[in-house]
Amino acid sequence: MVTFTIVDWFWLATYLVLMIGCGMLFYRLGRRSESDFFLAGRGLPWWLPAASVYATHTATDTPMWVTGVVYRHGLTGLWYTFFPAWCAVSAFVSTRIFRRSAAFTQAEWQSLRFHGLGSELLRGWVAGWQVFMNMFILGWVGIAMGKVCNYLFGWPTWLGLVVFSTATAIYVLAAGYWGVVMADFQQGLIAFLMIVFVTVIGIWGVGGPGAIIGRLQELGQAWRLNPFHFTGWFSGDFPVAWFLTMLVIALVGGLGMGTSIDWYVEAQRIQSARTVKDAAYSIWAGSAVTLMRNAMWAPAILAFFVMYPNISEVSQYELGWFRLGFELLPPGMVGFFFAAIVAIHLSTISTHLNLGAMYGTRDIYHHYINPQATERQLVWVGRLVTGILLLGSFFFGMMMENITQWLIFALWLMAAGVWLPNILQVVWWRFNSWGYLVSWIANLGLSWLVVWILPAFGILPELPDYQQFWLLMALGAAIYIPVTLLTKPEPMDHLVRLYVMARPIGWWGPVRREAERRGLIPKTAG
Amino acid sequence: MAGIRRQWTPAEADNWSKEDWIAVILSCLSYVGILTGVSLAFLLRWQGFAILVITAVVTWLMFRIIDPKLSVLSRDYEQKQREYIERLEKIARWEGE
Repeated sequence: MVTFTIVDWFWLATYLVLMIGCGMLFYRLGRRSESDFFLAGRGLPWWLPAASVYATHTATDTPMWVTGVVYRHGLTGLWYTFFPAWCAVSAFVSTRIFRRSAAFTQAEWQSLRFHGLGSELLRGWVAGWQVFMNMFILGWVGIAMGKVCNYLFGWPTWLGLVVFSTATAIYVLAAGYWGVVMADFQQGLIAFLMIVFVTVIGIWGVGGPGAIIGRLQELGQAWRLNPFHFTGWFSGDFPVAWFLTMLVIALVGGLGMGTSIDWYVEAQRIQSARTVKDAAYSIWAGSAVTLMRNAMWAPAILAFFVMYPNISEVSQYELGWFRLGFELLPPGMVGFFFAAIVAIHLSTISTHLNLGAMYGTRDIYHHYINPQATERQLVWVGRLVTGILLLGSFFFGMMMENITQWLIFALWLMAAGVWLPNILQVVWWRFNSWGYLVSWIANLGLSWLVVWILPAFGILPELPDYQQFWLLMALGAAIYIPVTLLTKPEPMDHLVRLYVMARPIGWWGPVRREAERRGLIPKTAG
Repeated sequence: MAGIRRQWTPAEADNWSKEDWIAVILSCLSYVGILTGVSLAFLLRWQGFAILVITAVVTWLMFRIIDPKLSVLSRDYEQKQREYIERLEKIARWEGE
C-alpha cells in the first residue's frame, strides 16, 4: 500500500476536477446533433484526433503489458508493441478512403461497400459486435484500475472500477465525443509528461544509462540492449518468423479496414477530422506518439530489470513501471503520478463509452429501430446507450477472471481469419457481401478447431500463434474465395458510386472504366 | 527532388501514384526509427541519436512528398462532402437506397 500526503490528494482532486470539468465545458456543442455527439461535427484539426488516438491507446493495463514483454525479451520485446505500425500505411491509404466515404462507422461503411440483404446483415453484425466489444474492453480496462487501486489503497477491486468509470461517464454523457476528445488532449499531455519523468527518474535511480549497460553486461544480459536479438528463424520464444508475421499483419493490414482491433477507435477519429488531410496526419501522428511512448517505457523497464533481475512471476514484473513511479518519486509527487494513471484510464474509458454508444445509436437505433428519429432523440439515445455500456462494463469487469479465455478467442476472431477479407473489401471490387459474411462465420468455426479442438484431440499439434495465423488465413480463404466467385458481384451502380466518392485502391479496373464511361471521372491517360 | 511531382490538379490527385507509395515506405521507416531510436537514445547510445537524425530526415521527406497531393485532393473533396453526407443520411433513414 502507498501512503498519500495532503499534497498527493490535492494533485488527484485537482486533476479530476480539471479532466471532468474540461469535458463538461463542451456540453452545448455535444447536444446539437448526432454528428456532434459522436464526431464533433467532423470539424477537428489534425492534432486533436491525434492526441485522442494516443491517449485512448494508453490505458491502465498498457504499461503492464509493455513492461511484461520488455522485461522478458529486452528491447526486442518492443516489436510486440509495433502493431500500431498499420497506421504508417493506413494514414496514406485506407484512412484516406474511409474519410472520403464519410461513413460514421465501420458498420455504415458496409452499406456503402455492399448492397442489399448482405450489406444489411453485415451492418447489423458489425454494429452488434462493436457494442459488445466496447463493453468488454470497458470491463477489461476498468478492472485493471480496480487492481491498481487495490494495490495502492487496499480498496476492494470493484470500487476502483466503479468510481473511475462513473466519473468518466459524467462528461461523456454530457458532451459526447466533444468531451472525449477535449479531455483526451489534456489527459494525453499529462500522461506523456509523466512517462518521460518516470523514465528519467527510473534510469537515474539506478545510476544512469552507463550503470544500466554495465550491470546488464555483468549479469550476462547485454543482449537485452539489442532490439534485433531473435532466438532463431523458427525456434525459441522470439523467432524471426514471428517478427515477419507481425510486420505483414501490421503493415499490409494498413491497406484494409478493421484489420486491427484498434481500427474502430481510429475510424471515429478519422471521421471527426475536418479534412481528408487532417484525417491522414492525425492517424499518422497519433500512432507515432504511441510508438514513442512504448520506446520511452523500454529503458525504464531495463532499469527495473537491473534493480530486480530475478522476478519470475509475470504478475509481479508486469507492475515494474508502476513500482518505479511509486518507489522512486518523492513524497508529494506520488499523487501527481497517480493523477497521470487516472488520466490514462479516463481517456480510454471515455472513448469506448462513446464509441460503443455510436454503433448502438447510429447503426442499430437510427438505422433499424427509428429511421425518422430527430437529432434531439438521437443525442438522448446516445446518452442512454452510454449508460447501458457503463452498467454492462461493471458486469463484465467483475467476471473478467472467468472470461479471459473467451476474450482471447474473440480477439482471434478479429485477427486471423478475417484479416485478409478486411483488406479484400477495400482492394478488390469483386469481393462481395456473401464472401465477407462467410469469412466471419468460417473463422468462428476454424478458430475453434485450430486453436482448441484439434490440439485437444491430438489431431493437430499446438502451434505457435504466428503459425495459427497463417493456417487460419489459408483455411478461411479456401472457403470465402469460392463463395465470392460463385455468387453475384455487387451491382455496378452501387460500386461506381462508392468508387467515385472514396477512390479505393487496388483491383477496381471494371468499376473505374464504367465510371469513366458514364463521365463521372476523367478518363485515365493512355 | 527529381521525379517527384509537386503540382497537382484535383483530378490527378484523386488517382493513386508513386508519390503515395514512396510516402508509405518512408512512413514505415519513420515508425521503425522512432521505436528503436527513442529507446536507444534514452540509454544515451550513439546509435539511438544517429537513428533519430535519419528518422527526422525521412519524416521530413515523407511530408514534402505527400503534402502537395494531399492538400489538393483534400480541398477538392471538401466541395463534394455535403452531397455524400446527405446520401448517408438517406441510407440511415431508408430513403432512396
